[in-house]
Amino acid sequence: MQPLANVTQLKPAARAGAIEVKNVGQVFKTRSQDVVALEDVSLEVKPGRFVVLVGPSGCGKSTLLMMMAGLRQQTAGTITISGAPILQPDPDRVGVVFQEASLFPWLTAEDNVEFPLALRGVPKAERRAKAQDALKLVGLDGFGRRHPHELSGGMKQRVSIARGLVQDPPVLLMDEPFAALDEQTRMTMGDELLRIWAATGKTVVFVTHSLTEAVYLADEVIVMSARPGRIVDHLQVQLPRPRTYEMLSGDAFGTLRDRIWRHIRKSA
Amino acid sequence: MSARISAKTLRYLIVIGLIALWEGLPRAGLIPELFLPSLSSTLIAGWTDAGEYGHALAVTLYEVVVSMAFACGGGILLGAIVGSLPRPRILIMPMVSSLYAVPLVILYPVFTVWLGIGSESKIAFASIYGFLPTMLATAAGIQTIDPQLLLAARSMGATLSQRLVRVIIPAAIPTVLSGLRVGGALVIVGVVVSEMLISSAGIGYLISRYRTILDSPHVFAGVLLVLFLAIGFNAVIRWIEGKAAIWQTGTRTGQANDEIAVNAMQPAT
Repeated sequence: MQPLANVTQLKPAARAGAIEVKNVGQVFKTRSQDVVALEDVSLEVKPGRFVVLVGPSGCGKSTLLMMMAGLRQQTAGTITISGAPILQPDPDRVGVVFQEASLFPWLTAEDNVEFPLALRGVPKAERRAKAQDALKLVGLDGFGRRHPHELSGGMKQRVSIARGLVQDPPVLLMDEPFAALDEQTRMTMGDELLRIWAATGKTVVFVTHSLTEAVYLADEVIVMSARPGRIVDHLQVQLPRPRTYEMLSGDAFGTLRDRIWRHIRKSA
Repeated sequence: MSARISAKTLRYLIVIGLIALWEGLPRAGLIPELFLPSLSSTLIAGWTDAGEYGHALAVTLYEVVVSMAFACGGGILLGAIVGSLPRPRILIMPMVSSLYAVPLVILYPVFTVWLGIGSESKIAFASIYGFLPTMLATAAGIQTIDPQLLLAARSMGATLSQRLVRVIIPAAIPTVLSGLRVGGALVIVGVVVSEMLISSAGIGYLISRYRTILDSPHVFAGVLLVLFLAIGFNAVIRWIEGKAAIWQTGTRTGQANDEIAVNAMQPAT
């Protein structure tokens, strides 16, 4: 039995950052009927990949992300991250970045970033040091003392990303993080995210409504259908990195975006 | 900048103007001293009977402080329960809302029968009077907490008690404070009014007694004292707000939430 125990212990470390979703379903029970939000969803994400989930509104892409984060339990199937099932939020394995307004307005930027560490009783000095590093990584060096209302929308999202990264989890889940930003800020934040991703080597799963954003950011795009949510396509984006603004008008880019759009139009 | 300074100066000028009118109009004989005694005769009346007013103030202050502890403590506690748990909310909220439309002062004679005409009946009445808005504001404050904040805390591994201490309580502070402001002001009203109705001590009692013997300067000395009490209370609340809720400034949660809380205190809700 000894060798076998060793194998199972080694497995998670060897697969740090890998995500496996197997036959996952989600049924919401309402008073009148059961609503099938997700049906038989299976996908695999290799460590270090940038994967984007797209689909029409209500296709369950955010629900899937919440299940990966352990914030919601699936009604069928299994989800494993770094080789172990995810049954509840585990900040060691998964960092989550939400849409705007998930920063605590009564805390400064650095206190917000330190929050997950404070929950676990990490000593103040260590906490501060880690928060400073994370803020530096997202380009907010020197803004730590500001409160959220003193920051722009883009800066707030940078703080959110820093908070998601501060515990150095191998996986970062992002639920439409730039949806509330204006177009220019959104483009800049996309480039910033790619820079941070390249610097840290995290596995990123990113939910968005924007097809352009999806193709621009992703290694792989997973397209989901309207309710009940299923995976209808899984595209590899072969565009070279670093991605540039000029690629947006290229043929390869357009072909990919068209292919996604056709799926979504069909199911909507 | 200059606009703000001039607004402030203007406010001072208005106050000084009112004080001048208070002194000037009765002296010039434009208003009979019975209706409005001059400021100086009011102050002199208060000064000559300083002992009596001091004692009355002590009684009233004691009643206000005890009532506030009951009204605010109970209001925040029950408001937190009602705001965070749906079941008690369904049971209690309709009752509280209907009760809020009742002029509670009709209960005061009953309290004097139960508790006598001393401080106890005033405390009971003022506590209930201030309790309702504090409770409603706290419940509203807890209910308006952005669920996204709780979800974010959960994603970072926060336990239930950590969410309560680190998210729910700080997020509710601005609305609770504005509830305290209204609830506290009503406690002062409740104490003074009940003293004026049936009582044997306190500022309200003095005002009422001097009114029956048509001694206007002494009546207004009492009124002035209540005025200072209310201003002092307001200053204390402002100080607490400054200490506890720096984050209110300039955000949706600041001014906007005050309005929400005030709206929540309307009987209709």
